[in-house]
Amino acid sequence: MPRLLEVRDLVVRYGPVTAVDRVSFSLEAGETLALNGPSGCGKSSTALAVLQLRRPDGGEVGFEGRELTTLTERELRPLRPRMQPVFQDPYGSLSPRHRIRDAVAEPLKVQGRWNAETGPARVAELLDRVGLDPSYGDRHPHELSGGQCQRAGIARALASEPRLLVLDEPVSALDPSVRAGVLNLLADLQDELGLGYLFICHDRAVVRHFADRVIEMRDGRISSSQLRRSPGAAPR
Amino acid sequence: MKLRTRAAGATRALCLLAVLTTVGLLPWLSGRDPALAVLRARSAEQEPTEEALDSVRQDLGLDAGPLSLLRNWASDLLHGDLGTSWVSGTDVLPSVTAGLQVSLGLMGAAFAVAVLLACALVAPVLVRGRGSAGAWAAMAAALPEFLLATLALLVCGVWLGWLPTSGWQGPEYMVLPALALGVPAGGLLGRLVADALPAVLDERWVELWRGAGVGRRTISAAALKRVLPPLVPQFGMVAVGLTGGAVAVETVFAVPGIGRTALGAAKSQDLPLLQGSVLSLLLLGLVAGAAAALVRRRLLGPALRDAGLSLPPVRPVRTHPVIPLTLLTVLTVTIGWGLLRDPYTVDTAARLAAPSWSHPLGTDGLGRDVLARLGHGAAPTVGTAAAVCLLSLLVALALGFLPGVAAGAADIANALPPVIVGILVAAAAGPGTGGAALAVALISWPPLAAHAAALVQEVRASSFLTAQRAIGASPSWILTRHVLPSVAAPVARHALLRLPGIALALASLGFLGLGAQPPAPEWGLLLDESRAYVERAPWAALAPAVALALLAGLAVSGAAYAQGRRNIGRGTKKRVTKRVTKRVTKEKEALVEV
Repeated sequence: MPRLLEVRDLVVRYGPVTAVDRVSFSLEAGETLALNGPSGCGKSSTALAVLQLRRPDGGEVGFEGRELTTLTERELRPLRPRMQPVFQDPYGSLSPRHRIRDAVAEPLKVQGRWNAETGPARVAELLDRVGLDPSYGDRHPHELSGGQCQRAGIARALASEPRLLVLDEPVSALDPSVRAGVLNLLADLQDELGLGYLFICHDRAVVRHFADRVIEMRDGRISSSQLRRSPGAAPR
Repeated sequence: MKLRTRAAGATRALCLLAVLTTVGLLPWLSGRDPALAVLRARSAEQEPTEEALDSVRQDLGLDAGPLSLLRNWASDLLHGDLGTSWVSGTDVLPSVTAGLQVSLGLMGAAFAVAVLLACALVAPVLVRGRGSAGAWAAMAAALPEFLLATLALLVCGVWLGWLPTSGWQGPEYMVLPALALGVPAGGLLGRLVADALPAVLDERWVELWRGAGVGRRTISAAALKRVLPPLVPQFGMVAVGLTGGAVAVETVFAVPGIGRTALGAAKSQDLPLLQGSVLSLLLLGLVAGAAAALVRRRLLGPALRDAGLSLPPVRPVRTHPVIPLTLLTVLTVTIGWGLLRDPYTVDTAARLAAPSWSHPLGTDGLGRDVLARLGHGAAPTVGTAAAVCLLSLLVALALGFLPGVAAGAADIANALPPVIVGILVAAAAGPGTGGAALAVALISWPPLAAHAAALVQEVRASSFLTAQRAIGASPSWILTRHVLPSVAAPVARHALLRLPGIALALASLGFLGLGAQPPAPEWGLLLDESRAYVERAPWAALAPAVALALLAGLAVSGAAYAQGRRNIGRGTKKRVTKRVTKRVTKEKEALVEV
């Protein structure tokens, strides 16, 4: 069985600046790998390059045994739903013009899995799964709190039935009181669905509680890699 | 960025070439057989037999097809030969140079008026160090020349009898045309400079110079020098406005200038003369633009780049929504009242009647009710203007996604006054509402396209579009479900607010006989018709004039309101982002402390 994610010698450049310099790591299903480091160290660039939302300038990204860097945009499109991002800004990742219900339903429609009869129930189920009352579906993003909005963003990501979630500082913009709730939700989802998490974070306290393994990044390179606790159910 | 500049340059050259080709191909484009007209003009007694017509066609080179026509025209042009007038049979070049001489004199005088007015607007700001040119300058800039010319003719020429109103025999004949042409230009110039000055006078160096004991005059001169470079391109636009305005003003005051020559040639289908005069008008505009660019480089000096002299954008005239709403209400009530009356009934017994209960705004030369004609004239004008708005909205949305192409094409569209495009379209397709609408649509899209391009850029940069790609959405899905809806609505609102300005441009074409044709009660046409008996029935001219002035006011205040709202909108967004970022940083700091 191939690894969920296998990154080798990843390079991302912005003009003359090398933001990510030959970074390698791998990730199993059900495992949480934290990318930790100060701002500007290349964490978010790594995340975007793994998701192929910004094509890397070098290296390989293997996902479920397929090499992504050589695929065209069109070939990549059917694979994209299996790896979903959750962004830092809870409001920015949802279109301000659409209701929450439509935002969560959109992946189903885009991926051709929408069914007029069962669709609405599926959306309600997803909202319920992330701890949002389905009645929130009628609201627009600006009518929700930051934490609720981030939960909606997670529901939207789950609608694509992903295997890997790339969490780019998912709780940094949230109030400390809301943070624990969202982190617990993510932990529950992982146990239940066996998702792999690539967790981008600059906060050591959060990392210590949440991650199985931690990679420290500095100036675009991996400076150290350590095991926080024994990996969960993931087979080695 | 480089690619975009190159695309803009290529499109600019292409558009210029397209305009020149259109001018060159006019005889072929017009589609109507000019042979008969030429034959009539050359010898009245000759029978229009097929042979005679054929020989004329051969003589004009019309039978050889468009390409050779264009080639001949271009090669003649390079040899300084503008061809022979179809109507008078004389060389075009002398008529063009004669007209150009008169027009240059008039434009010089108008420019002097404009500079004087601009100085008058700027002086108080320079003395007080703050404030702006205010709403009057904006209003002066928005009043179309044909309206000002008619009003000046009415008030100074006819009622007060101070100055001659038609002809070109001495300096006193120059005063009214120069005023009509110079006031809008001066209003625009003065407003641009006066609105940019306060920000410059707030800069640190002014304080420093003052502290060092530098005289007030030196500081003022330096501040002016600092303000001018970014505004100089706008001055080029003023020159373009002058060439377009000259057509209307010369027609109203019967000045034998190049604008009037062009219009006359268009109306009599004398295409070689039209080609020559339109070409010289275009040349005037382009030379003015090039001169502006040269002056700008000279002012900046070789060491300074644009970025070193960034200035805050021109502040919009602040306006309360009450002003446009009031103007709109007055216009709507007048139009509504007029719509209830009959605009076509001719009552010769009541010709040129003064306002009374039965005719609230009097009657015109055929005894038709002026109020009714005003009301019934509004509907088609607004309808046409709405169609033009829609067309330019569609163009703007399409070009909003190609900012490079849009910038190049916009440069050329900005360099063409509506009147000259109107003349070209009328010469090719005959005068009519459709042609006038097309002419205005061709040049009214640039501000909308710029707005659309800015919004597209903003939406494309937002992270929810990245999220769209992540769920596997195709580019067409993203475009139709996310980008277009966020761009179309605000640009459509913007287009709606430009409706009065577009109606005004249509009216100016109607006034010159290039738009709606009699007996249609179009406003510009109403004003034109009433000029014939303006001494006896001034109210018949005053009613459409006031209606058009109200429309101009609506155009200014509506646009100002839209601009203000857009700025406010941008401000709030920035503030919210700032607040969020601040909160995030604060939390980060708190965590570090823990």
